Amino acid sequence: MNGDARGWRMALVPDALVNPQDPRTAAFPDVLRILEASNYGVLQLPPPGEHSLLLAVIADQVAEYAHHGYAVVAIGVHGEPGNGLHWRRLAPLLRHRGVALPPRHLIRPAVDAAIERQQLAAFLVDYDLPVEEQSRWRV
Amino acid sequence: MEQNTPRKVALIASCLLNQNAKVCEGARYPALVSPVVEALRSRGYLLQQLPCPELAFAGVRRWWAVYEQYDTPAYRAHCRRLAQAIAPLIEQYLRRGDEVILIGLDGSPSTGVRFTSSKPDWGGRPNRPEDDWDVVPRRGVWIEELEAELARRGLPPVPATGWALDMGRFDEAGARRDLEEFLDSRESAAGSRGDDSVP
Repeated sequence: MNGDARGWRMALVPDALVNPQDPRTAAFPDVLRILEASNYGVLQLPPPGEHSLLLAVIADQVAEYAHHGYAVVAIGVHGEPGNGLHWRRLAPLLRHRGVALPPRHLIRPAVDAAIERQQLAAFLVDYDLPVEEQSRWRV
Repeated sequence: MEQNTPRKVALIASCLLNQNAKVCEGARYPALVSPVVEALRSRGYLLQQLPCPELAFAGVRRWWAVYEQYDTPAYRAHCRRLAQAIAPLIEQYLRRGDEVILIGLDGSPSTGVRFTSSKPDWGGRPNRPEDDWDVVPRRGVWIEELEAELARRGLPPVPATGWALDMGRFDEAGARRDLEEFLDSRESAAGSRGDDSVP
């Protein structure tokens, strides 16, 4: 695309990692900064609670991306219900839309933030769609 | 943070956290719009991403369009569904006393706040080689429907501005200056009132 800077990759991210507020998640690596450095956009999941319509809307968007050459991953929090990703609700919504479940990387609260930062960055760098799928869409 | 301490929450256009949502040739950044994210986080705002209405309606490979082309009953119904999906969260913030602001995307036919794009005669064969749309001072369709949904819920208007990405020639320094002036005016107003109440 002429003059277009999009990175073609994005991550589903729990609210707790977009907005680290409590002392536990505040000790996590700065996930937004790592995503930006890796050229990943963000699809923010809502905080814990009942958000059935919003999750359906998010699944619609993921399906649109996934069916047109965009790489989508999910970054969760180990030990949180649904990894902070509402996974028990979101996964069937994605399957229903014909979307292969995005690969998940989990941030571990008990592990040093520097190690988690390195591992997340490595996960993000390594992941993308197969080259033939990229070349089909990314023109 | 105390459970009931009022917070500062910024509702932000989807593409400000994910430039992949932009129409083809419209992405100016690879991923996040970092000047917006930094300006908000450095002032203590929590981020709440809004859904992208155009992406889920016309798709990632949609044509460029102006306000008049999206001003249809079907698109407005779609925007109302998205508004009903995100409004409960916004209502939670407002009911607990949080300061809520909205950062849209000026020049966008959907997410414009101060300005949207207009060209009543656009249509038919998509061959507009020149950027011949006009920028007019009004909300985009999505912002109109989101604000209407919040009003239906009896919620006060949310102070809003737009990141001037879709105004023709993109001026990042000017957009940053506008945004920071808006945010700093909020700080001054809150300071003079001595609280964080939504006006």
